[in-house]
Amino acid sequence: MRRRVHLEKASKTFQDVSRRWFLQQCGIGLGAIALHDLLPDSTNAAEPLAPKRPHFEPRAKRVIFLFMGGGPSHLELFDYKPALAKFDGQLPPAELIRGYRAAFINPNSKLLGPKFKFHRYGQCGAELSELLPNMGKVVDEIAIVKSMVTDAFNHAPAQIFMSTGTQQFGKPSLGAWVTYGLGSEADDLPAFVVFSSGKKGPSGGNSNWGSGFLPTVYQGVTFRSTGDPVLYLSNPSGVDAKVQQESLAAINRLNRLHRDAVGDPEIDTRIRSFEMAFRMQTSAPELMDIAQEPQHVLDLYGAEPGKPSFATNCLLARRLIERGVRFVELFHESWDQHGGLVRDLKRNCLDTEKACAALIQDLKQRGMLEDTLVIWGGEFGRTPMVQGSTDGRDHHPNCFTMWLAGGGIRGGVTLGESDDFGFNVVRDRVHVHDLHHTILHLLGFDARRFSFPFQGLDQRLIGVEPTRVVEEILA
Amino acid sequence: MTKHRFSRLVGFRPVALLLLSGSLAGAGDADSPVISFRRDVLPLLSERCFACHGPDDDSREADLRLDRRADATAPRDGTAAIVPGKPDQSELLHRLAASDPDVVMPPPDSGKKPLTPKQVTLIRQWIEQGAPWSRHWAYEPPRRPPLPTTGFRDRVQTPIDAFVLARLEAEGLAPASRADRATLIRRLYLDLIGLPPSVEEVDAFLSDTSSDAYARVVDRLLDSPHYGERWGRIWLDAARYADSDGFEKDKPREVWFYRDWVIRSLNRDMPYDRFIIEQIAGDLLPNATQDQIVATGFLRNSMLNEEGGIDPEEFRMQAMFDRMDAIGKSVLGLTLQCGQCHHHKYEPFSQKDYYRLFAFLNNSHEAQPVVYTREQQSERRRILNEIARIERELQNRTPNWRQRMAEWESALGRQTVPWTVLEISNAGDNNQRYYRQEDGSLLAQGYAPTRFDATFTATTNESEIRSFRLELFTDPNLPAGGPGRAVDGQIALSEFEVTATSVTDPSRKKVVKFVRATADYSNPPKQLKAPYTDAKGKSSGVIGPVEYAIDGKNDTGWGIDAGPGRRNQARQAVFVAEENAAFPGGTRLTIVLSQRQGGWNSDDNQNLNLGRFRISVAPVEADADPIPRAIRSILRIPPHERSDEQIAKVFSYWRTTVKEWEEANRRIERLWSRHPEGTTQFTLQERTTPRQTFVLERGDFLKPLDPVTPGTPDFLHAFDADGPPTRLDFARWLVARDSPTTARSIVNRIWQAYFGRGLVETPEDLGTTGSPPSHPRLLDWLAVELMDHGWRWKPIHRLIVMSSVYQQSSHVSPAAFQRDPDNRWLARGPRFRVDAEIVHDILLAASGLLNRKVGGRSVYPPAPEFLFQRPASYGPKTWAYDRDGEQYRRAIYTFRFRSVPHPPLQAFDAPSGEYSTVKRPRTNTPLQALVTLNEPLFFECAQALARQSLVRPSKGDRERLTYAFRCCVARRPTEDELRVLQELLQTQRRRIQGKQLDPQAILMDAYGRPAERVAGVDDGELAAWTLVCRVLLNLDETITKE
Repeated sequence: MRRRVHLEKASKTFQDVSRRWFLQQCGIGLGAIALHDLLPDSTNAAEPLAPKRPHFEPRAKRVIFLFMGGGPSHLELFDYKPALAKFDGQLPPAELIRGYRAAFINPNSKLLGPKFKFHRYGQCGAELSELLPNMGKVVDEIAIVKSMVTDAFNHAPAQIFMSTGTQQFGKPSLGAWVTYGLGSEADDLPAFVVFSSGKKGPSGGNSNWGSGFLPTVYQGVTFRSTGDPVLYLSNPSGVDAKVQQESLAAINRLNRLHRDAVGDPEIDTRIRSFEMAFRMQTSAPELMDIAQEPQHVLDLYGAEPGKPSFATNCLLARRLIERGVRFVELFHESWDQHGGLVRDLKRNCLDTEKACAALIQDLKQRGMLEDTLVIWGGEFGRTPMVQGSTDGRDHHPNCFTMWLAGGGIRGGVTLGESDDFGFNVVRDRVHVHDLHHTILHLLGFDARRFSFPFQGLDQRLIGVEPTRVVEEILA
Repeated sequence: MTKHRFSRLVGFRPVALLLLSGSLAGAGDADSPVISFRRDVLPLLSERCFACHGPDDDSREADLRLDRRADATAPRDGTAAIVPGKPDQSELLHRLAASDPDVVMPPPDSGKKPLTPKQVTLIRQWIEQGAPWSRHWAYEPPRRPPLPTTGFRDRVQTPIDAFVLARLEAEGLAPASRADRATLIRRLYLDLIGLPPSVEEVDAFLSDTSSDAYARVVDRLLDSPHYGERWGRIWLDAARYADSDGFEKDKPREVWFYRDWVIRSLNRDMPYDRFIIEQIAGDLLPNATQDQIVATGFLRNSMLNEEGGIDPEEFRMQAMFDRMDAIGKSVLGLTLQCGQCHHHKYEPFSQKDYYRLFAFLNNSHEAQPVVYTREQQSERRRILNEIARIERELQNRTPNWRQRMAEWESALGRQTVPWTVLEISNAGDNNQRYYRQEDGSLLAQGYAPTRFDATFTATTNESEIRSFRLELFTDPNLPAGGPGRAVDGQIALSEFEVTATSVTDPSRKKVVKFVRATADYSNPPKQLKAPYTDAKGKSSGVIGPVEYAIDGKNDTGWGIDAGPGRRNQARQAVFVAEENAAFPGGTRLTIVLSQRQGGWNSDDNQNLNLGRFRISVAPVEADADPIPRAIRSILRIPPHERSDEQIAKVFSYWRTTVKEWEEANRRIERLWSRHPEGTTQFTLQERTTPRQTFVLERGDFLKPLDPVTPGTPDFLHAFDADGPPTRLDFARWLVARDSPTTARSIVNRIWQAYFGRGLVETPEDLGTTGSPPSHPRLLDWLAVELMDHGWRWKPIHRLIVMSSVYQQSSHVSPAAFQRDPDNRWLARGPRFRVDAEIVHDILLAASGLLNRKVGGRSVYPPAPEFLFQRPASYGPKTWAYDRDGEQYRRAIYTFRFRSVPHPPLQAFDAPSGEYSTVKRPRTNTPLQALVTLNEPLFFECAQALARQSLVRPSKGDRERLTYAFRCCVARRPTEDELRVLQELLQTQRRRIQGKQLDPQAILMDAYGRPAERVAGVDDGELAAWTLVCRVLLNLDETITKE
């Protein structure tokens, strides 16, 4: 168990009021309190981060979203198109690109055949790129959706769309919605944690994990994989743990004296916030200390203590959800291959695919995969047409691939089909809103009823257009 | 919110002690015992029915409309949805009360909750009472209600008290006693100027026993320059102010003139109607001043996406939607956003109405003119006057100057080179987008790559091509007006290259060799400096003579930097080919404009790209016209038709060619060299050719439906304009006296700032789906009061802070807390944690570090560097750490990157400026504790507070601790509190003396430099005090308005 330092015994008088107040206001929930029902049109407003029961029995209790920023090429990774190889160097059929808007290229650019070989893996025999040998080992655990469709084809808007269901800024992210709906089971860590690795930061910036019109307690908290995981976690220079403890004890004593004078239970929230902050100063470094992991686990992920990487973040994601964190999102912004397709895809897969597979294996070994939903994907796919001479692809919203695993997902399924060029979806289309609908469903929500009143409307993650649960990939 | 409304409704009980009865006109009737359509019925119908039976034609079911009485009571198949007076015959009631899932409304699958039995009874009673109908309260203009009477007569100090106390009485509550004076003055300081009072100011107030002591403090604070900073920040939330573009690139932008305009305007107590008019249409006012143009930055505060691969028009439209949203929330207090995609489901506001409003705004350039500070303006005036004086002197000395100038002009002759404009098209990638203008030039927009080649092709049938002319034009949509896309409108043309290909035989190609280059202007050779460097800081080379553009070198380029004040002008260069570039039978020209001299980081403002340009060819060897384009266009006007100003302009050019005036010309050049560098600013500038606005299918800019003309929706007040309606007319309409929501919206937000919640809790939405007001009559009274006082805020502030309601103690007993946890009825004073900026400002002010300078560029206080680097940030950003006192400025001046919010501000819920915010959330989190405990600047505050306490000539710890405590919270500590502090001080002293702690380590500033010391105080003592002061700065009370 983690070390817990109580600075002082809380006085009895205000304890009940203050606990309620704390839960209402604080960025972190209490683990050990009773579940509350989620009301159909709002959560229990008094205790926003208390663990809550969703509409029905959930299949997944927590989520790890591996967000591959930039838009990975489905054509090189998951969606093998022999015809594209055959027509390499030829112009696409005119009717295919009629009315098509491309970001950079002239849509009437030559087709580019897939750059890598594909193999069949696992009992399900799913086809994966040669770049994904480790994913091949867990392919029977994942459901591959080759028929994803999105609305936007520029990075920032498309990422915001994937994260919030709209291209407009100011809407809550998926992680914020989930935290709003389910509360948190972590008692000394934020409910929703975000990491960033790769070449750049995410194009959509912090709006990818914003709380929008939901209370800000639901927004994601960014962690770093080296140094202070949370900003200002370390004491100032010269201040040791004892000073910190004595200082906090003094602060809380003074706050308590003042509370007794003025009677505002908000002060108890402040006292608890300071206690929690102090606990986090111990628990967060402990969480981040992956050197505690046995060597074979480090090897499984390809993580090295002290070295920031996507692999380290995957391992940290597991450690976080073990500690009750509800939603962990890893951004890896490296997939925008307008050029350098071959070189960069090799690099990116080396950087990520082993750790993705390890995460699934590790969760499974620990019995956590069954109620942890793991999602992999980017904001869009890439064009079958070339950008540049022979080694790049442009943004493409009409068709791309994502995969899901764990929490209620049927492993070994491949859903959907694209046309011969991997340009349009021809079967089992899954729009981003359908994906959101399905994720909420797995977490126990009726996505149509899961709403928050704002600006006179019952706002929902899935918007107003008809959406569906993608039943085909459910276990 | 819905739930809230119902619970109050259910708990509703008749109130004996009514405010003055009478007509229920105005803001409604939350205090009335009879069923009110507006308060009780309309919210139910709106929430449960209007989505399918409301104003939206497209989503209406069964052709039934319930938002208008005539429709709701119209006969249908022998009955009607509502038969007034006859609930049992009213289909509506049957449906609402039904238990059969096929019959009941709202349908179970709609996700809407069925009515409770109590609510059904309420509808029944209402129908029984004849189903009286009235408009939603917020759509009737406010009228001044009479003052209510109250039993708490002795507590009435301003009319506000009468309203609040009467309501308290009705609730069976009693007001709290007055707050103690130390608490009160601190509350007043925090509310009016956002800064805590110094100990001396508190003492002065405490010892001032005169009856108007408090009122005088109020006057002084309202006159303080810091008043505008405190209240300006609230407006900047609504104006979604930030110092960067947002989206992926999130480049810095210069917009702080707008921020300072807001601060200054509020300090001057500019009438709110004027304040709005200038922000929406200041540029259209007659003889608009720089300030009035700067004010239009309000609409320009939208985010801007310049990532590669975008269609700039798509994101201009997104910015337009954002502007509509901002006007809706901040000025009207109404949600307009829905109209972007569909008819409003709850208000009589159609999609067409939305785009008619939109059309008022849709005719502006996204302008970025150069603006000057007050000092720069007077310097500039001085220089220009001096130049004018010298020119007059030349004219006086030369009585026949007009004749000589005319001779010069006739000697110039006309331009005879037969230029043919090429129709060039982009043949490179789609990073930077080019928009063809009517004059054949291209305007570059969107992503601005650096260090790149722009390639264009054109086909021509000219049989002889000996010269190529590159013209650069200014354009309102370019930074500083262009002609380049650099932040100051500059360019660097590294190379001008042309390849000619025969149209008839594409195998025939020639690389055109240029032998001569001329330009109307080239700057003297100049080494490029930061930010035009590589990542290691090495300069991108030299710009200078136009020959640099044909020298085959990428690190030399044509530059046109004529210095501040004269930089942004149309220019031209002409390149002469060694031999004819044309092929018989047609020539395809590939023209490369090599622009290799920007900086390395294309995600920052480091480009030197051409902004608007045109290319022509001529069959003869030609030189660039030495006469500037602006002068040339005057010369085309017959001399007797030229204005004095035009004549003066020609003179200013002509004099530079007169040999004997060399000395005067040199003096003038010297003056120009002292011309101040301005700053660009995002503003509006109306286009001469209007844009047509269309209704857009689901808000998609590629799917225009019907064209619309500017106009306002019928459910709001009438629109008045002579002639074609303009943006200025729209601005005036927004603040018309009969606007039902404008004044209410702003007084509601002023109230919210004082009491933590508005009289309407949904300040962004006063419409039918917003919360009903807690004190409707007070809201109306304040709205009318505002307008009657010439829309000035300060009289409203005075009314509020002089009220006894405001001056109540915020202490609360558990029972009283349970009775009204949200303090909705105001039986006690407001108590809540202050806004993020004020948290920051309190810590700096209390410790004496605060730099109180008002206005100026945004500042860069200490922040973790990794935030500005990958992979935390999309691209590397520059955070130019301030070290010489500017890091201690108020938080309103902290530079705001939208994608990387300053962490201490973000932790305390400051908005990032991505959209208009009229109500901040207010959280209390462990991350906030980490910020105030450990953030380096805040730790410096602890050191400074320690220094401040130790330099006092004092009798000992007790007095010093009392002083430090009072710096933070104004009041004196209790004995218990002092004991805690003394114990802590002793403990830390002991640990330091015992060498368990290192004072040197504790006494480091935010940049790791040794902190300032106090003469005669040893480091151990200063360190111990620092640790104690840190505790004081972390008290809940320190960051709370008590």
